[in-house]
Amino acid sequence: MSEATQGSVETVTFTLNDREITVPKGTTVMAAARLKDVYIPHFCWHPGLKIAGVCRFCLVKVDNRPKLEIACNLTATPGMKVSSVLPEVKEAHKWALEFHLVNHPLDCPICDQAGECKLQDYYMEVGKYKSEMDRPKVLKPKALDIGSELVLDTERCILCDRCVRFEEEVTKTGALGIFNRGDRAVVGTYPDKKIEHNYQDNLVDICPVGAFTSRDFRFKQRVWFLKDKPAVCPGCSTGCHVDVYAKPQVRSYFRLKPRESAVNGFWMCDKGRNTYKHMNQEQRLRFPLVAEGSVARRKTTVDEALAALVGRLLAANKEDVALLVSAQYTCEEYKTLFDLFVVKLGVSKVYQWREPTEDLKAFDGLLYRGDHNPNTRGLSEALKAAGLPSEVNNGFDELVRQAPPLVIALGPEVAFQFPSLPAQLKQLEQLPFVSLWTIDGAAANYAGLKHLLPMKGFAEKRGHYLNFEAKVGELADPFPAGSDDARDVTEVVAALGDLFAHSL
Amino acid sequence: MAQDKPRIILRTEGLANPRALKTYIEHAEGYTAIKKVLGGAVTREQLIEEVKASGLRGRGGAGFPTGLKWTFVPQSDTGPKYLICNNDESEPGTFKDRHICTVNPHQVIEGMVLAAFAIKANKGYIYTRWEFQEEIGYLVEAIKEAYAAGFLGKNILGSGFDFDLDHYSGAGAYICGEETGLISSLEGKKGQPKVKPPFPAVSGYLGRPTIVNNTETLANVPWIVNHGAKEFRQYGTEKSPGSKLFSISGALVRPGVYEVPLGYPFERLVQEECGGYLPGRSLQALIPGGASAPLLTPEEVKGLTLDYEAMASRGTMLGSGAIMIIDDRQVLAELLKVTIEFFAHESCGQCTPCREGTGWLNNIMDGVLGGTAKPDSVERMRTVAKHMGGKTICALSDACAMPVTSYVQKFSGQLQAYLAQAAAAGSHVK
Repeated sequence: MSEATQGSVETVTFTLNDREITVPKGTTVMAAARLKDVYIPHFCWHPGLKIAGVCRFCLVKVDNRPKLEIACNLTATPGMKVSSVLPEVKEAHKWALEFHLVNHPLDCPICDQAGECKLQDYYMEVGKYKSEMDRPKVLKPKALDIGSELVLDTERCILCDRCVRFEEEVTKTGALGIFNRGDRAVVGTYPDKKIEHNYQDNLVDICPVGAFTSRDFRFKQRVWFLKDKPAVCPGCSTGCHVDVYAKPQVRSYFRLKPRESAVNGFWMCDKGRNTYKHMNQEQRLRFPLVAEGSVARRKTTVDEALAALVGRLLAANKEDVALLVSAQYTCEEYKTLFDLFVVKLGVSKVYQWREPTEDLKAFDGLLYRGDHNPNTRGLSEALKAAGLPSEVNNGFDELVRQAPPLVIALGPEVAFQFPSLPAQLKQLEQLPFVSLWTIDGAAANYAGLKHLLPMKGFAEKRGHYLNFEAKVGELADPFPAGSDDARDVTEVVAALGDLFAHSL
Repeated sequence: MAQDKPRIILRTEGLANPRALKTYIEHAEGYTAIKKVLGGAVTREQLIEEVKASGLRGRGGAGFPTGLKWTFVPQSDTGPKYLICNNDESEPGTFKDRHICTVNPHQVIEGMVLAAFAIKANKGYIYTRWEFQEEIGYLVEAIKEAYAAGFLGKNILGSGFDFDLDHYSGAGAYICGEETGLISSLEGKKGQPKVKPPFPAVSGYLGRPTIVNNTETLANVPWIVNHGAKEFRQYGTEKSPGSKLFSISGALVRPGVYEVPLGYPFERLVQEECGGYLPGRSLQALIPGGASAPLLTPEEVKGLTLDYEAMASRGTMLGSGAIMIIDDRQVLAELLKVTIEFFAHESCGQCTPCREGTGWLNNIMDGVLGGTAKPDSVERMRTVAKHMGGKTICALSDACAMPVTSYVQKFSGQLQAYLAQAAAAGSHVK
């Protein structure tokens, strides 16, 4: 009752499995169940898409009504008594699943969806265990090249229509349709067309079975060996909430998936999905590289590298020191960096490092923004807090022109979003001394860079980003760093601070 | 005492040029009902009340009360509304609507003007199945004549009421006879039924309130307006008033389309209208209401009358009035296979139990007839059919399951014989 009288939203109270539930008026039984953590099995219903009502799995019994009804299209009305657990309902669920499995190839051992497949989950939950099907199955096209990120198996498909609705309602491309009828029906693109947009992997996510698989992920890893932790995508200033999937024991990352949030709904873009790759061994800078005096650049320990940097800093005037900072670090990292260098050491030359070809105003209308940095707002606020000019600009060229004797550069974490990075690193090579803090292993190819410090990736540290509208994205639960020598800025600054304290 | 065999629908049948507007006007009170209604003698509310009082039930198969259906259109909605004549007539065994188009299309058009007036629709469509090319020609010609005579178009008979009527045809699919499948097709989409609610009366064609009525249903309306609900109720039974067209096929001397009052004895229809069975033939089974209706045994046919209640009491349905005589020379197992194959072919494929179930049953029947089915296949068909029923967006799944269930229940002997033969030959899948 209290819920009903609070606020202006009109509510209804009904009973689901003998439990009284109050929800906003107009809510379906399925949506209400989801709000209250009651699980009604379903394939075609998805909270981010319109109702299709075709899988016929979410059947429930309403008191005093003759037929079972689908919960996804059943609006809750006051006093309605609904059950999803009565024996007749359970029996209907068993058979709904059996019909889904009749022509399914059951190739779970080689299917990437295995382990996170709704058919498998429901089989364990409501399966008949003993199949009634003893006839040859309907065969359909497999391993279809349907988009740059996708492979389609129409035999595994259960025709839930989620992908079709996604293309109609979310990307508005209408790229997919269901062709033919009856048990010959197949999902597909129109003749000579492929899916071409930046949101293809969402089809893999919403596909409840293994019909859509990701070209990037398929055949790489069984999902049950993966561990996932929440994080924020560093690919652009939208800052989609994501789950990062990794196999920590071998220090490998495998994929990003969107995590439902007010920022990104249920989706994320394909570009963002690639922002795990730089954290893997073959791509990342794994150890410090330092050139000291006449000694050529060599692999060192972190302690040695930091000592060398402190030595240089102690020898330099504060006017000779400059910071070059990309907008791909956390608010906390900026704060500790500026606290030490700007507030304590009095460094005043701080340059923003941005990609010169970026178009800050660009936006694809869905999620992907032209500002390819996750924390432009956070950097601005940290600059302001440190008493420095805070408007967004690209100070890279100015820094190169000034050519200060000692530069500390916080390189972009997601290098592929910085197409000019190779050229810019070449320019940095020409400066007297640059300490480049980066996770990008390609930086090691620039022999003129005298001091390289390996950094942690976004999934390996704690902190916050502020997205384009200053919404907070939290990195709260880090994986162990992919390399023992990797540090975040806060750790580096703390160690530098200690060294300064001992030296002074 | 009313006539024994009323002529409510087929009023111009047997006349020269039966389809012509002139014939309809001279011999069948043509377009007098719209003069009465649009002239102001009958209000919109009175028209609906009269149709409700007549007890007219939808003649397409479901038998839903027509007047009641009209009231579901929300009259508070002032935007466009649509009236659609469902002339898809796709149930196997049914051929009565095409007969109406052949002998009396104007009565359908007049019925549509009246129905449109009742629901305040200014636009209508006749949706005919693709295969009826000749009948489409008759309808298009009749529409043209009605426009020329001022019975269609703007300001009909000076009443201020506008009603435009177009003809449309899909590519020929069973499921486009289901009203929301028809609407999808009319919208230019793949013909597949829409999830309900919302129902078409609230959100139908192009998301607007839409009433879909069967051809025969609409053809009843002018007569009801002219003669009144009371006279209409003199024909038929209490719960099934009026006349009905039956398309009766099989081993009869004169199969065809006959208009008789509802409640008419089946045996009388066979003997009087159809001239009895062909010499030497007898009834093996009866499909009383199209391919989707459960079969009746000769025993169950005894004393059968042709009305909704008598059919329901025998566990089957009147459907669209498609009576199929299955005589003793037919192989029922083959008939069942053809029936299932039809539904498996026509399933639109969106609902899982139908898509997979119709195909599965077809698959099993292939095995039964081909000698490769397992010995327990009959039982399997029964269970599969049982779980296909009542679980889908439209009734196609049921339409396939019902005949299977009735066949397995009443005539499983023939199927078992196939299976026994296969088992003896060792050809079945082990």
